[in-house]
Amino acid sequence: MTQIQNDQEFLELFRNPATKEQGFTGIIKKYQEKLYWHIRRMVISHDDTDDVLQNMFIKVWKGLDNFREDSQLYTWLYRIATNESLTFLNQQKKRNTVSISNDENGLSNQLKSDSHFDANKLEWKLQLGIQSLPEKQRLVFNLRYYDEMPYEEMSRVLDTSEGALKASYHHAAKKIEEFILNH
Amino acid sequence: MEKTSEILNELQAISPFLANIDKINVFEVPEDYFQLLDKRITTTVFLTGNKKNETQKVPEGYFEGLSNKILSAIKNTEDAKEEIKNISPVLFSLKDKSTFTVPEHYFENLSNTIFTKIKVKKAKVISINSSKRWWKYAAAAAVAGIITIGSLQIFNKKSISDNADQIAFASANVPDYIKLSFQYKTPQQLDNGIASLSDADIVNYLQQHGNVLDDDLISNNIDTTELPDAVDYLINDNTLNNFLKMDNSKAQGE
Repeated sequence: MTQIQNDQEFLELFRNPATKEQGFTGIIKKYQEKLYWHIRRMVISHDDTDDVLQNMFIKVWKGLDNFREDSQLYTWLYRIATNESLTFLNQQKKRNTVSISNDENGLSNQLKSDSHFDANKLEWKLQLGIQSLPEKQRLVFNLRYYDEMPYEEMSRVLDTSEGALKASYHHAAKKIEEFILNH
Repeated sequence: MEKTSEILNELQAISPFLANIDKINVFEVPEDYFQLLDKRITTTVFLTGNKKNETQKVPEGYFEGLSNKILSAIKNTEDAKEEIKNISPVLFSLKDKSTFTVPEHYFENLSNTIFTKIKVKKAKVISINSSKRWWKYAAAAAVAGIITIGSLQIFNKKSISDNADQIAFASANVPDYIKLSFQYKTPQQLDNGIASLSDADIVNYLQQHGNVLDDDLISNNIDTTELPDAVDYLINDNTLNNFLKMDNSKAQGE
């Protein structure tokens, strides 16, 4: 059997009732890791990431029939993953307003509770620095720094102009650098 | 070497000032430019070589597209790396260090886990809907029963305590609109009765009893089954508009 990698082929399999699951499995396998890391960097804990990722794929299953091919599958999936992560973080915020006044501290605390956390290591300082950013800047920083996403594509995922994204990334990187040097 | 000194001497002769200035290159070359240069050149050479060779046929415009594809793919990752290197060398050096861990075999099993959930959800949807309907009817029957029993008890108590007042109670204490409602025995008759009411009657009734139309009553009687699914809003920004348009045209059709 030849290996299928093309989104178009996955979508065709998905539209045929007999091969629907095969097509969907292909999409999951192809994108699961990228989307996992995108969500993980936003919500931090593995368990929360797993919940968000599974929920988003269930929504994709329901919505894929109506997916318009004038946009790229990859961009569409990133959009859903982003929306689902932000919705999840908002729910967390609402739940935590009584116990934790600053939600950013919530995510930083979650980082610190990781069994591998080491406050002296630069890579962990970097993570704390990322968590000190506002949500939108954090998204932009992650998509560019880790996913190396072109601004043009990011602009479609986040519905923001390329210029604003470039500026946002620049500010984010500078703030994180400052955070690392001061901590 | 001889040549260099020869050239230097020549310059010394023309302009001792120029010859004494250190040779420092003031022009900058983008970092990694030379590392990537061979790839760029081989790509270009490969493409031009194939353009000339007519015996190997490829789809029209393939190579024009290919070179852009290859170069933009290289450029995209290089751009992102170059950018962070310029903004913050510290962050660039940390780029490939991993911090988070994932449970073993997590990605191998993920698609199976998702399918199990999709199947469970599908099964649940059917059972929830049917049980919901069942509860609606059961609740309606229970409320109807309580009202019937309640009213019977009122009438019974009255008849025990004062049999003679029964007719007086029915005619004096019961409001006119309830007395009127006694004439309707079937839902069909009730519908006809409501249809025969004038606008003034309805306005009058609502002015006196408008408080019964509270939010709970309204929200309990709205049919939400036809509302678009939450995921539809995500897929298409116009979902809500389309739904309202559809709903309006339906209402006009009726």
